[in-house]
Amino acid sequence: MRFTSSFLPVWIVMFPMVMTAVIYYVEQHSEKMRNALAVGTSLVTFLSVAALYPYIMAGNIIEYKMFQLLPSLDISFRVDILSFSLALLSSFIWMMVAIYSLDYMCKEHGCNRYYPVLIITLASCMGIFMAGDLFTLFVFFELMSLISYVLVVHEETVEALRAGYKYLIMTIIGGLALFFGIIITFELAGTVTLSGATLIKEPSTLAFFAFISFLIGFGMKAGMFPLHVWLPDAHPVAPSPASALLSGIMLKTGAYGLLRVIFHVFGFEFMQREGWTVILAVVAVITILLGSAVAITQDDLKRRLAYSSIGQMGYILLGMSILTERALIGNIFHIFSHAFMKSTLFLCAGAIILKTGKRSIKELGGIGKQMPFTMFAFTLAALAMIGIPPFNGFLSKWTLSLGAMDAGVPFYVLVLLLSSLLNGLYYLPIIISAFFGGEPGHEHDHVKVNEAGYKMLIPIAILAVSCLLFGLLPTNLPFDLSRVAAEFLLRGGQ
Amino acid sequence: MSIVNHFPVLAVVVLLLFAYLMPLLMRWRKEWCVPATLGAIGFSLIASLYMMWQVMTTGPFMYQMGSWAPPWGIEFSIDYLAVFATMTITIVGLIVIYYGTQDLLHELKEQVMGWYYTLYLLLMASMIGMVLTNDLFNMFVFVEICAIASCGIISIKESRECIEAAFKYLVLSAVGSGCLLLAIAMIYMVTGHLNFTYVAQALPQVMDLYPLNILVSLALFLVGLGVKAALFPLHVWLPDAHSSAPSPSSAVLSGLVIKVYAIAMIKLLYKVYPPELLGMAPIMNMILWMATLAIIIGSMFAIVQDDIKKMLAYSSIAQIGYVFLGVGLMSESALQGGILHIFNHAIMKSMLFLSAGAIIYATGTRKLSDLKGIGITLPVPTIAFSLGAFAMVGIPITNGFISKWYLALGSLDVGRPFFAAVILVSSLLNGIYYLPIVVNAFFGEPEGAVAEPRPLPRQMVVSLILLGSGVILFGVFPSLILGVVSKAAQSLLGLL
Amino acid sequence: MTMIDILLRLHQNSYYFFAIILFIIGFHTMLSHNNLIKKVIGMNIMDTSIFLFFVAIGYVNGGRAPILEPGVPYTAYVNPLPSALILTGIVVAVSVTAYALSLIVKLYKHYGTIDAEEIMRIRGGDIQ
Repeated sequence: MRFTSSFLPVWIVMFPMVMTAVIYYVEQHSEKMRNALAVGTSLVTFLSVAALYPYIMAGNIIEYKMFQLLPSLDISFRVDILSFSLALLSSFIWMMVAIYSLDYMCKEHGCNRYYPVLIITLASCMGIFMAGDLFTLFVFFELMSLISYVLVVHEETVEALRAGYKYLIMTIIGGLALFFGIIITFELAGTVTLSGATLIKEPSTLAFFAFISFLIGFGMKAGMFPLHVWLPDAHPVAPSPASALLSGIMLKTGAYGLLRVIFHVFGFEFMQREGWTVILAVVAVITILLGSAVAITQDDLKRRLAYSSIGQMGYILLGMSILTERALIGNIFHIFSHAFMKSTLFLCAGAIILKTGKRSIKELGGIGKQMPFTMFAFTLAALAMIGIPPFNGFLSKWTLSLGAMDAGVPFYVLVLLLSSLLNGLYYLPIIISAFFGGEPGHEHDHVKVNEAGYKMLIPIAILAVSCLLFGLLPTNLPFDLSRVAAEFLLRGGQ
Repeated sequence: MSIVNHFPVLAVVVLLLFAYLMPLLMRWRKEWCVPATLGAIGFSLIASLYMMWQVMTTGPFMYQMGSWAPPWGIEFSIDYLAVFATMTITIVGLIVIYYGTQDLLHELKEQVMGWYYTLYLLLMASMIGMVLTNDLFNMFVFVEICAIASCGIISIKESRECIEAAFKYLVLSAVGSGCLLLAIAMIYMVTGHLNFTYVAQALPQVMDLYPLNILVSLALFLVGLGVKAALFPLHVWLPDAHSSAPSPSSAVLSGLVIKVYAIAMIKLLYKVYPPELLGMAPIMNMILWMATLAIIIGSMFAIVQDDIKKMLAYSSIAQIGYVFLGVGLMSESALQGGILHIFNHAIMKSMLFLSAGAIIYATGTRKLSDLKGIGITLPVPTIAFSLGAFAMVGIPITNGFISKWYLALGSLDVGRPFFAAVILVSSLLNGIYYLPIVVNAFFGEPEGAVAEPRPLPRQMVVSLILLGSGVILFGVFPSLILGVVSKAAQSLLGLL
Repeated sequence: MTMIDILLRLHQNSYYFFAIILFIIGFHTMLSHNNLIKKVIGMNIMDTSIFLFFVAIGYVNGGRAPILEPGVPYTAYVNPLPSALILTGIVVAVSVTAYALSLIVKLYKHYGTIDAEEIMRIRGGDIQ
């Protein structure tokens, strides 16, 4: 067991990487094999992550040093409860998306590019979550960011390329900021390994620069204001399954990085003492309100979802800035909730766009009658997004609010309520017009729109039901994981 | 006395010998030219690897020409920096000329091919000589050979741009040589020596007597070598010269020649001039600011270019700035970064120039805007170009990242984070001009000549693959080269 | 320090003084003239000034060539090293000059002029 468990993280990262090459080779000969391999790889990855469950829940931390790049700069892996939770979540959503892609992508060109990229981003995402030091994190972060560029510009339209350019430049800025932060940390601490002890202990100008650099680097990825500019362009132009991953998982890598920075590089007492969390809080509040408010004005369905993602990432950032136990639980649980909700929404949007070819919300009146199942799933996720009680979105907001009250800042609760109201304002009209709206301009349109194929519906169904389930049951796996992870982090990551 | 004891001088002399054999071979045994050239450089490579092994196991040593002991005879100093540089020169030189054997066939006239090999071997010999020598005047002679040979491999392609660029280069380089000779005269005047070691011993004693002479000589060295290394603002000749030359020439000029002068400068600053002198004049700060301007302005000029080779040439100006940044910061990590960047940039830039050359060879176009979809029709050069571009930006797992890491760390070590920020800004600028090319090359429909390129000969593909794997290899296992680099930096700073 | 002192010092160091003046003349010619041949001439003047300077360093007042002859008593002799080095320097300068002139011939063939500005104008017209 010892050997297996220390080897598993490497396996989880390396297996999809190797499979990428295999898929690339196989797809020259057979499309069926390619599809099977893509789904199989994500399934095996998910199962391998899940196999770590008993070991991690027993409170163990797996550390594995792969090789040394430069003196005291390693490629190493470290799996603790937080890594495990996010890796489990990501590999699960990835699997769903891979299944969904089978039907969705068969109408698209360039599948032979799509699948290898999908799998290698999975590998790099696993690498990010399982990185044992900031440098490894950085390497996989860059890898993921650069490769997901291919997903963003998949359509190769002028619009996509323009969005991709913006994405690329922002990625490079973020990467360089991270580089700066890491090198300052290295200079001050002599190592960048994540462990129980915090790396930077003394406040200094340089340390502050490091914090700002990390904030820029990870915040860029997390869609933090004012670095969110790439997100509303890049997410909608990607193919829908890719948007689901970009919004559902890849945004979270930024949040994950910030968590690691707050708890391992500086330590949360340090952050509070120096008042640096205030910066995070201000940015988070602006991000929440801005994301939600701008979403209302969007007419393009996927664009509206993208802005909504910005608002939701704001919650996660807010949770990080409050730093009480319950806020932290809410924060981590919201990473789960948002991943489920947003991928459901994007996958539904993808099904609608695929079947009707329409992206404008105005034209989607009455779509609920033609595609009842998809729209039902959409409704579930949207309600969760607004934060209606039995859904997981409610649970995360509730916990966050409790945390804010613990910290004695009821203002944040107000912000959360306001944003829920705004969420309602932009999600409910879609649902209402979909089910009860007439069909403006469609009376003469006799083209019958069917539901999408079952390969698309099953992932949607699973994800949508999860939204309900994880809110309905008071003790469920994601919530437990969040709780243990939050406790673990507040203990100082030991 | 076996032959291996004479490897230091043989590494130079064999190249010189073969250089003068080339025209004869071209006349009578045409097919022997290529193997002879490759053989000669290969021999130097073996010699330099052997020297490297010797230095790494038993430490630096001196080689005396004809056993004449200094101060009368000329010495070669085989130390860490020298073996490192010799190895860089021979490896990259060998790969570039292997590529060149095919590429030159379409760029040059048939009858000058032999002369090209002559010039190339002369260039190699002079570069190796320059980094090995321990004698000021000997260095000057190698500098001059290098200057003429490098102008020669530009002007040998008799287009009018090449001739003009070569003339500009020659004139400016002659100004540089003039400054260099004057500086040597000044040094000789006050110390009475030309040998580096003896000059270094004599300088502290005479510094109080003739401070002005010594400072002027340092300034003249800086200008003379700065012109040749294209240190901003003395870079004006470089863009024309490097972009109009035949591709292998561009690769070797940008990849190696400008670096060799930087190495000469490093040797003078750290081995010859006493550290107290640096307190008298802000010479290191001057170098730092020149380097900073080079990095920023070179990158900015590169952004607006539409000619692929011109863009690469401007990028070289920025990259030589990195090397001088490492030299000027006076910290161990930064100096390591600077020296390492000499090697890394030699690989990246020669690969970029060669892949640009391959693209020009196959499609005939050198405009960046015409290269849409080239990645689909010409995968190998485009992937090589992309790798080089990533290395330039400093993406991890490429070698460019490692040198940037050390440079940034060095600037933090001496408490000047500003220069780390400069490195980051320039990486961003690099990204702005390199990445759109990569994107353009892979996403987009190929048109015209790009859609149906000429097939590439095997030699060109192999060279590109070799250099490309070098970029990855030294990015993932930097310790392969780091051993000698850190020893070199430590010995220069007197830490060994 | 009076004027006389300065003049006296200049007289004592006249070799150096004139070498520097020559260097400046050469440098100026090289940079300010558009005629390519004049540039090359300027380059040569500059080189020559350095050669003179270098040789002057090795000169010893009243010294003679460093050749030992039987019977002749040992006297002060001129340092031979600078002269020997300068021979090499002259060879280098000659080859650079020859090469530069050959390039000028080629340039004249291509452009029909040896005026740098004219060449720039023709090239500029080419590109735009």
